[in-house]
Amino acid sequence: MTALASQLVPMAVLLPLGVAFLLLALAHWLPPRGADAIAVIISLLLIVFCGWLASKALHGPLVQWFGAWAPGVDRQSNVVLGIAFSVDAVSATMGAFCALVFAGSFVFAWGYFDKVHAHFHVLMLLFLAAMIGFCFTRDLFDLFVWFELMSVAAFALTAYPLGKSSLEGAFNFTVTNALGSYLMLTGIALLYARTGTLDFVTMGRIIAHQAPDPVIAGGFCLIATALLTKAAIVPFHMWLSDAHAVAPSPVSVIFSGLMVGLGLFGLLKLIAIVFIGDAQVMALVHIGLLWLGVATAIVGGLMAWAQRHLKRLLAFSTISHLGIMLLAVAAVDSKGVEGFLLYFVGHGLVKGTLFMVAGILLARFNSIDELELYGKGKRVWPAGVVMILAGLLLGGLPWGVMHDATDFVHKAGHGIASVIAMVAGTSLTGAAVLRAALRIFLRSSGVPGVEFAAPTEREREQRDRPLWLMLLPCVVLLAIALLPPSLVESFTHHAAEGLVSATSPSAGGGTLIAAITFALTIAIPAVSLLRKRATRRLARVVSDIEKAPFRALQTLHSGRVTDYVVWMMVGLATLAALMQLR
Amino acid sequence: MTVLAWCVAAWLLGMGVYGMVTSRNYVHLIGCLSVCQSGTYVLLLGIGFRWGAGPPIFYNHPPGTPAVDPVVQALVLTDIVVGAAMTALLLAIALQVHKRRGTLDTQHLRPLRPTE
Repeated sequence: MTALASQLVPMAVLLPLGVAFLLLALAHWLPPRGADAIAVIISLLLIVFCGWLASKALHGPLVQWFGAWAPGVDRQSNVVLGIAFSVDAVSATMGAFCALVFAGSFVFAWGYFDKVHAHFHVLMLLFLAAMIGFCFTRDLFDLFVWFELMSVAAFALTAYPLGKSSLEGAFNFTVTNALGSYLMLTGIALLYARTGTLDFVTMGRIIAHQAPDPVIAGGFCLIATALLTKAAIVPFHMWLSDAHAVAPSPVSVIFSGLMVGLGLFGLLKLIAIVFIGDAQVMALVHIGLLWLGVATAIVGGLMAWAQRHLKRLLAFSTISHLGIMLLAVAAVDSKGVEGFLLYFVGHGLVKGTLFMVAGILLARFNSIDELELYGKGKRVWPAGVVMILAGLLLGGLPWGVMHDATDFVHKAGHGIASVIAMVAGTSLTGAAVLRAALRIFLRSSGVPGVEFAAPTEREREQRDRPLWLMLLPCVVLLAIALLPPSLVESFTHHAAEGLVSATSPSAGGGTLIAAITFALTIAIPAVSLLRKRATRRLARVVSDIEKAPFRALQTLHSGRVTDYVVWMMVGLATLAALMQLR
Repeated sequence: MTVLAWCVAAWLLGMGVYGMVTSRNYVHLIGCLSVCQSGTYVLLLGIGFRWGAGPPIFYNHPPGTPAVDPVVQALVLTDIVVGAAMTALLLAIALQVHKRRGTLDTQHLRPLRPTE
């Protein structure tokens, strides 16, 4: 059975790719909803198939050498000529989860893109194939190719509405990520120059037996820059709030729920397989990436609180949660991997739901602005129930997948800084979503604070879709997020140990911290929504002081692509400097 | 020779980034991005180069004849394809931006403007 599973591994990529080509060729002859139906069916098939691969891969990775070019086939066993897919249980689970979110997004987008034939579905299937390939590959250059395919599909999907903002958002996204991928290629070239191979496992073996080498450390910095740019980690994160805010909402679901987290997964896999034997790189991972994660969680949380454009608010909340995921990656132990996997899934489900709710509001009321939508949500109250529940989950409601994941990240933890970052990120993002939901659906007033001066824009999306059809994927995704994770505990545990076997002693005090986080999530919007206009002099001074740091942060997020490139270089220099400092 | 290739690659990468940071026009910025990418071509080819070795084509050479590394050449080819797709997409976006905003100045174009 395992041999059969190995043989079938490439199908996970070939199926969506093949169907995408067929759709493109047959688009003009298909019935109006044909492409929608086919895309949903393909994603459902892939959920089952990748799930099956995950169950087969639990006792060791499934390896498939393309064209049977396995090492040793040319009787020179030290040379690896072939390219392989290697599917461990974690990667297969990631693949299955990607397909699940795509299925939700396809149902949500039912009829959304009628006018453009099947182009949307073709790009989305290409995107899905690239994501699965990215998870499955064990060849560094192959990883780069899937990374690029993922990027190109994403760029095109962002620019799709051809509006003013979506074009400029797509431009910023493309330039920063393209520069990142060229840096990644430079890094790959450096690693190849030193190790003479592109295969993960072989490269890891060679690096482990070498003396510390600045070329390898430099290669890691360059590759990490590219993956951290994709994962929107401070200071590489600037593009994300533009791209996610202006992309069509079914696409934003995929971006926030899957694409950015995959950047971190790629990094985790590279660290766990290739760089784990290099002391210099591991020092950077344990300390440098940890601090980047702390900064990201806090900056993302503060910026999310200071937004009024709903999709931009959710985009910054994604940045904050990616920071928390980076904390799990930086631990490089099995609890961290388990935490990362659960967090990726939990966050993807909740964030996907929230972007769909934003899409519903946009479709119904032609606005995405929290203050403009004030009180309008009553007519679509089921969406309000979903949004409040999702906001509570995002803000650390002690139930469901995300809570369990947070617990794992905390157990893998590294001291007070990461605890503060997790509390701040979780509670601020949850509070921001709750504040918006209470204003839109329950007419809670409260004078607008820092969010009043935030950027916003009028947008519209196609209106004529039935509400129940748009709500269906939201409810399903949220229901999965509410399942008790103990159902899959033994599976995730085994899967995580298959990738990284090291464990560290767990940190205590998780329950208390979870309680504080959740209390803050409730308290922050409550205080904010009960506030009156500052009329007394003292109150005005206090509110001005309060706004100052947010204003400074807003100014830094200037929206100019040239500034973004400068920040990327600052980030790269920081990584290189941290490498020297250890 | 190898040192020269590494220096040229680093120079191209650095100049490309400098150009992107100081650019005032989208098309110029796209050009600078391509310069960065050229740096990766030079680096890759420099890594695979060997003095006195021929091209990696063996139909009229016996196996074992010294040849330059074919792997990096394959990487460069893929890279060129990727770069072409990326540049075409960016230029198409720039064209559409110009149609809608009437300018390509990087300092005036930003996706969501703050409300004042």
